[in-house]
Amino acid sequence: MKVVVDHNLCEGNGRCAEVAPEVFELRDDDRSHVLADAPAPGSRPRIDLAVSLCPRQAIRLIAE
Amino acid sequence: MAALTPDTVDIIDPDLYVRRGYPHDEWAVLRREAPIYRYERANTDPFWAITRHADIVNVSRQPELFHSIQRLFVTINEEGSPAPDEAILRQLLNMNPPEHGAYRAIVNRRFTPRGVQGLREQIDRITAEVLDGIVDRTECDFVTEVAARLPLAVIAEMFGIPRADWAMMFRLSNMMIGPGDAEYAGDETILETLQRARMEFFQYFSQLCEDRRQNPRDDLASVLANGLVNGAPLPIFELMSYFALLIIAGNETTRNATSGGLQAFIENPAQWARLKGDPSMAAGAAEEIVRWTSPVIQFTRKATADTNLCGVPIRAGDELALFYPSANRDEAVFDRPGVFDIGRNPNRHIAYGIGEHFCLGANLARLELQVMFRQLAERLESVESAGPLHRMRSNFVGGIKHMPIRYRMRPRA
Repeated sequence: MKVVVDHNLCEGNGRCAEVAPEVFELRDDDRSHVLADAPAPGSRPRIDLAVSLCPRQAIRLIAE
Repeated sequence: MAALTPDTVDIIDPDLYVRRGYPHDEWAVLRREAPIYRYERANTDPFWAITRHADIVNVSRQPELFHSIQRLFVTINEEGSPAPDEAILRQLLNMNPPEHGAYRAIVNRRFTPRGVQGLREQIDRITAEVLDGIVDRTECDFVTEVAARLPLAVIAEMFGIPRADWAMMFRLSNMMIGPGDAEYAGDETILETLQRARMEFFQYFSQLCEDRRQNPRDDLASVLANGLVNGAPLPIFELMSYFALLIIAGNETTRNATSGGLQAFIENPAQWARLKGDPSMAAGAAEEIVRWTSPVIQFTRKATADTNLCGVPIRAGDELALFYPSANRDEAVFDRPGVFDIGRNPNRHIAYGIGEHFCLGANLARLELQVMFRQLAERLESVESAGPLHRMRSNFVGGIKHMPIRYRMRPRA
């Protein structure tokens, strides 16, 4: 599974970095960046939470 | 008293909110027995009352299917009320995709976690000054003398509005949010009050806007005045509405969370002792305060197509009211939902909404609440109620107008 943040949608609300800081990081460009393309399985519940919390629906999970 | 049933509960009469505060018992009945409830009463237009956390999340996550509409909240039909489609303002809260995102993008960078971090020192300073203002006494009105002052000062400074005009921003915000309350409306009807407040707001903002077009500064007024949506300046009504939205939202809800938060601590002394013992708990406390107080009671949506929620058919054109305080006491999501616990973790409240319309000012509100409650914990040696709360007559925002307290406060460290 791959985690992707669409930077055309992301506006840096930072909800994802709050609930899954090991996966998402808010950087100086006010966009969320994915730290590890293929995160550890243990992060999955927090990633799902991040997806559901994102105000812009900017996070996508892509099955590999 | 007879047992409550879905068909006997009243969740929208604004006078009930004045007398009893939030109808948590009534919402609990609806969550349990009729979570998607067709609310049909003689005194209101029919709507679907949505009271469970999961259903409010579900609706909020489908902004195309459930549109935001002109009428932001459902209420009783009163003489002198605006018509349902009356456009008092036209702003983010009644816009839909893709227009909503385009408008939101104009100011968003000022409200991201990064954007508000730059305000921390300013918020620290203002908070300390506000508390200095009551340090020499032992009684005050916590709402007008403390809770109202911080968010008003912060949003006004963000806009570059001079201090001499802050009282007017406060007065007009109260008229816009509490037009059904005689303390704010006087003898005027709800519609007259809204129209008068809007006129005064627009007169003020059009001058401010003109100034910032001539002499742009690094403030929010300049961002809006010179902002573009899809490459063009904002139409005047939308531009003026945007100013009003940010001023009103920036000073109204955080005020009520602050007042309601202190009230929660007064009623739960063990939690107050906990925060005083460890002021670094202020961040978690700020979340629990917002869950507990849920200052926004409801927003409406309108179905754009026939659909269903939990198997209940919803028709295109039906209106829904999402009751956030109810979601934030949902037994399915929160352990001991009726307990005020500043250590609650996780705290999946949706007091800031969720999805497309997630509160633009959430990061700012969090920071203000964290700083305020940290300083209160550090400086308030004792605090108790010195009289009853005065609640605003509204079923839209859980306003607290006055809150007398007796206290001892230590000078700034």
